[in-house]
Amino acid sequence: MSHDYKAVQWTPFKKQFDRWMLAGIALYLISFVGVSAVMQPAGESFTPIQILIRAMGTLAFLLLTFILCIGPLARLTDRFKPFLYNRRHLGVATFLVALIHAGLVILWYHGFGDLNPLVSIFVSNPEYTSLNGFPFEVLGFVALIILFLMAATSHDFWNANLGPGLWKALHMGVYLAYGLLVAHVALGALQFEKDPLYVILLGTGAGTVCLLHITTAIGGVHKVNPASLNGWLKVADLSDMQDGRAKIIRPKQGEAIAVFRDGDKISAVSNVCRHQGGPLGEGKIVDGCITCPWHGFQYRMEDGCSPDPFTEKIATYATHIVHGIVYVDPAPNTPGTYQDPTVITHNNA
Amino acid sequence: MSKNDFFIGWSDDTPKADRRFFIGAGLGLLTATAALAGGVAFRQNRPGKGTWNQGDVREWRGTVTAEPYSMIRTADLDGRPRTALLSCLGKCGVSARIGALSGKSVIIKGSLIQRGTHAMIAVVDGMDWIREDPEPTSTNLTFPEIEPLGQVTLRGEILDTKCWFGAMRPSEGKVHKECASLCIRSGLPPAFYVTDRQSQKRLMIMTDHGLGHSKALLPFVADPVEITATAQKWGDLLLLDGPVSGIRRL
Repeated sequence: MSHDYKAVQWTPFKKQFDRWMLAGIALYLISFVGVSAVMQPAGESFTPIQILIRAMGTLAFLLLTFILCIGPLARLTDRFKPFLYNRRHLGVATFLVALIHAGLVILWYHGFGDLNPLVSIFVSNPEYTSLNGFPFEVLGFVALIILFLMAATSHDFWNANLGPGLWKALHMGVYLAYGLLVAHVALGALQFEKDPLYVILLGTGAGTVCLLHITTAIGGVHKVNPASLNGWLKVADLSDMQDGRAKIIRPKQGEAIAVFRDGDKISAVSNVCRHQGGPLGEGKIVDGCITCPWHGFQYRMEDGCSPDPFTEKIATYATHIVHGIVYVDPAPNTPGTYQDPTVITHNNA
Repeated sequence: MSKNDFFIGWSDDTPKADRRFFIGAGLGLLTATAALAGGVAFRQNRPGKGTWNQGDVREWRGTVTAEPYSMIRTADLDGRPRTALLSCLGKCGVSARIGALSGKSVIIKGSLIQRGTHAMIAVVDGMDWIREDPEPTSTNLTFPEIEPLGQVTLRGEILDTKCWFGAMRPSEGKVHKECASLCIRSGLPPAFYVTDRQSQKRLMIMTDHGLGHSKALLPFVADPVEITATAQKWGDLLLLDGPVSGIRRL
């Protein structure tokens, strides 16, 4: 949780994550450059800049593919939550790798001529109406701009100032960037490099991203809970409510509701974290606060407010227990409104 | 409430289960990364031969011409009269800089770009890259007459000579299309090679009625094309002379 917008809120794990990330990037580049340099017959070596262009380009694609797999993997297993929390640095690193790739391409392929290199990207190949001949560099350029906007606004400062909705919409642009990147590779490198390995890599990468998202989307589709008692929604039998955890309820209208049990108390809040829209109902009560599984933002159960000095607020809901069954009123209170928890007693349990 | 099994990003305490998984996944990812990089690099097409040692700047003596492209006929390559194309250090020809010296014996200064028997000299920047030779060599270095070899129809790719001779490796195909276009539009000679790029021995320099091609050629650069034109022999050069209307995209 951030309050004073430090550049990076380091933790031991985050430092460890970054070391592994940098090791991976270095290993890829060393391996790619090394094999490229020694594999060619004498007198047929790649020029060093062209090796770097290819190394950076393939690395950027693989990094972005991995980043897009993290979200759905974290929905499938909690073990990927640490990757989810730290993927921001991975995203910025991907942008920098892609930037180096683009910079070298612009310098090498579009520089040293009588045209402005940036203009050359758009006019040197005019076959915009042809699929095979399409100027694939333009697709990569647009993808790079999107990645730049995301990297530049990745800090929580921008999330708070743009608002979670706009920020989230902007960062959903990663899917457009990835689509452009797949087309960039398919209409560019794959038109020249005919080895099946490249087609398999592109297809496997893009296919895995699609499959994981479809799988988690299908798994995330929940039935709307019908009104079951004078307009109150049935949540679960009390015996099914795990201590410190929540059940997620989806009313016909409005946001999903997370109904938590903390010892002998039942409380309900909005399921949507105000930070990045994380699913609070998949979180846990830690130190008396509901804790978001994505980035650890916290809220008090009874009033939906973040503890001081934080200021985030979410809606609360009324609950009650009848014959051992937990119910929730789907009408939300104003965010930050105190709502008495329902206490579990011998009479209602 | 224990938080030992629940990852909280900002907490200094990372659950043991997450740490173990992270190390295992990290090792797996690093191994896969190295293998993947090696595999991707290993399966690349051969970039082709060609050399350009930019640091080896020499003086070259011979007869220079500006048409159809800037080139010099010289005996300094291997002792026999041969033709070397001329370029600037970047992506441009130097026809306009030859001026009144066209057809005369000159001394030029530049570095050699070479692929097999194909040669190009990248001349140095500045005004002193060319001067008239006060003591021309006794070897006959005048450009010979062009000999027609007949009309041919060939399938292949149009590329720029400088990159293919050795300025870039690789220097063909879709990934090099925009660079080739930029080179040709800036005055570097376009050339044609047939589809079998690995066994290609000689490139054909493309001309249009004896002159350099205009920008009308650019839309066909680096695409698979079929061309009908007249093959010609010009000393040690092979030319492919014909208008853009004789080119068909495949």
